[in-house]
Amino acid sequence: MLKMFSPGLWIVLLMAAGSSVLIALLPIPTHPGMEMWVFDPNHAKIARFIAADWNQGHASNPVTIHLITGAAIQSRMMSGFYSDTPIADLIEVERGMIGQVFAGPVADVGFVELTGRLDRENLRTGINGPSFSPWTTRGHIFGLPHDVHPAMLLYRADLVEAAGIDVAKIETWDDYFRILRPLMQDLDGDGRVDRFLLNASPTSIYYQEVLLLQAGGRMFDEMNQPTLNEPVNARIIARLATWYAGPGHVASEITLGGASSMRLVREGYVVGLLAPDWFAGSIRTSLPDMAGKFKVMPLPAWEKGGRRTSVLGGTMLGITKAGRTPEAAWAFAKQLYLSPATAQRLYEEARIVSPIKANWPEPFYDVPDPYFCGQAIGRMYLKLAPDVPLRPSSPYYGLAQQLLNQSVSQLCAYADDHRLYNAAALEPEARRLLQEAQRQLQAQMDRNAFLRPAAR
Amino acid sequence: MSPAPAHRLLRPATLLIYLLLGFFALLTLLPFVWMICAAVKTKEDFFTSQFLPRGPGFLGIAWDHLTLHQFVRLFRDLPVPRALLNSIFLASVGSVLATLFCAMGGYGLSKFKFSGRQALTTAILGTVVLPGALLLVPRFETLYHLGLVDRYLGIFLPALAPAFGLYLFRQAMINSVPADILESARIDGCGEIRIFFQIVLPIVRPMISAYLIISFIALWNDYITPQIMLQSPGRQPLSVVIFSLKGLYADDYSLMLAGTLVSIAPVMLLFFLLQREFISGLTSGAVKG
Repeated sequence: MLKMFSPGLWIVLLMAAGSSVLIALLPIPTHPGMEMWVFDPNHAKIARFIAADWNQGHASNPVTIHLITGAAIQSRMMSGFYSDTPIADLIEVERGMIGQVFAGPVADVGFVELTGRLDRENLRTGINGPSFSPWTTRGHIFGLPHDVHPAMLLYRADLVEAAGIDVAKIETWDDYFRILRPLMQDLDGDGRVDRFLLNASPTSIYYQEVLLLQAGGRMFDEMNQPTLNEPVNARIIARLATWYAGPGHVASEITLGGASSMRLVREGYVVGLLAPDWFAGSIRTSLPDMAGKFKVMPLPAWEKGGRRTSVLGGTMLGITKAGRTPEAAWAFAKQLYLSPATAQRLYEEARIVSPIKANWPEPFYDVPDPYFCGQAIGRMYLKLAPDVPLRPSSPYYGLAQQLLNQSVSQLCAYADDHRLYNAAALEPEARRLLQEAQRQLQAQMDRNAFLRPAAR
Repeated sequence: MSPAPAHRLLRPATLLIYLLLGFFALLTLLPFVWMICAAVKTKEDFFTSQFLPRGPGFLGIAWDHLTLHQFVRLFRDLPVPRALLNSIFLASVGSVLATLFCAMGGYGLSKFKFSGRQALTTAILGTVVLPGALLLVPRFETLYHLGLVDRYLGIFLPALAPAFGLYLFRQAMINSVPADILESARIDGCGEIRIFFQIVLPIVRPMISAYLIISFIALWNDYITPQIMLQSPGRQPLSVVIFSLKGLYADDYSLMLAGTLVSIAPVMLLFFLLQREFISGLTSGAVKG
């Protein structure tokens, strides 16, 4: 029998036997009390730090933090809500995950509604107002906001200052592209531009959203009804097309995150990047050798006196209805999200500013950051926090983003086909494309009986 | 003048073939070399050089910048040791069981005549075309009702007799196991279980090794099933733990690549041990009519 099979098979059999014995001898520890799911290693680190403190005072109901990838949280969360499979007491939810949660009747949302609690405990006014918007559906708040994520412009100070450019003169996007134009260069002499002025492109869903919101456009109204075909959106995408299309286009894409994008940032493929606070932190962590080469400034406005910021990304903490001790979960959620200790760790590790107004005067936001040429970027981001635009929480938000993107891409193709690089001339086509996008979005939304006015 | 030996005439052609093979081997190995270099670089050096960091050392490399700190972090700060054990357990036990049950099923389908055999074979073959992702939700629902969510058995049970394995063994048995031998064994009084283990399995030995390694690698690399089915962090395998190193805001690439190296090393080792049988298993029957 021993000679019957190969040595490899016996090795696998030995591995199976050995690992089975070890698995039997090393049981998995069980964790009593509450469970919290988080999707980011950094969030997990901070939550474990706060949970250690909580667990000392709540030995009968401790909290265990589980780091689970976002896709798995989404599957498990929705499965828990729809079919009562095991679910955590508290879940951190990223902006891209929340739409599905709000797809049914308000009464059936799997998270505990927090509106009443926030009002009773005067917390609503103590938290940055716009930060609630992605977690609010049909007037009901279901999550405690983790962040604000105001967007600024992160730019290569080394390149800009070497060219003798003074960014203080920049107020609008037109100023920005005009003043920085000399930096758009063909560096290797092959006749093609190797350095662009802004990281944005017709294929990027996120940047379109950032710029649309900054310019005052919107995809949904306060009641989550689609507004893609509003004239303001057409004006915005017509201008965007002039940045993206044609031989003289000034913007090109660096995708958010990933090693290749970091390499492009490092090589100076773009001079300016649309950067929410977390992205500035990400650059700082990922490219430590680039210290002293970046600065931030408020986004150039679309028109003089216009909004100088936008928003990108976001996370909330929700308490599940299936949790056994919702009051304890709420107490832990407050300890975790409202504490200055969390705000400090979040800022120091990821440069993310807190949505809790009481934490805003904290001195750590004023510490000059050598990475950003001594700028106190925390304070700069916080100054913009109240101006962050509102965002809808519609379950169809992702689809709306895709349709908007599609319209921008089609408009760019139209501009190239007709050699038309003037915003006013492109506006009629932009209106037509957005009208079609609106029709498609509305058709999809009409299939959901729960979101019709009578069902709200 | 006597003609040159044939092997001498072939030498330039052979050399060219070896050069070409060497080039493609190098091309294949390049990502692995890059990964090894990236895993021993510091965060500061990660983006500054393509492979190893440049410096004043031998071959123009900053040898003093290289570090094994990422590997230390993996085993000291992260649950990698337990995840490694879980991966070994899931892949080895799962592949042994799957190989055994697929061999049994393939033997049954190829050598036993029973009503509905053709329909059953067609149905099994039909399920091969179903994408795995499509079955994830019904599988989760079924396992949940069986009380097998967050249990190792929840991973093993659906992987016991995959359609691909059943069909592979069925074909191997049809091609390799003569009906006469089975008949002779039965006439001599050999029981069915003994026939299977002492006659049939040794004949399909190359296929066993090949399928063992195929299923071992599939179970080792499986990310989505354990991610959904195994909810306790202590039960999760290496594939899930390594993926969880990916952050929302920033990634520690050196750490992730060190983790990737740790996760591929055991499979590579196993493949080197089994490669001869793996190849002979896949090519067995290739020249049979």
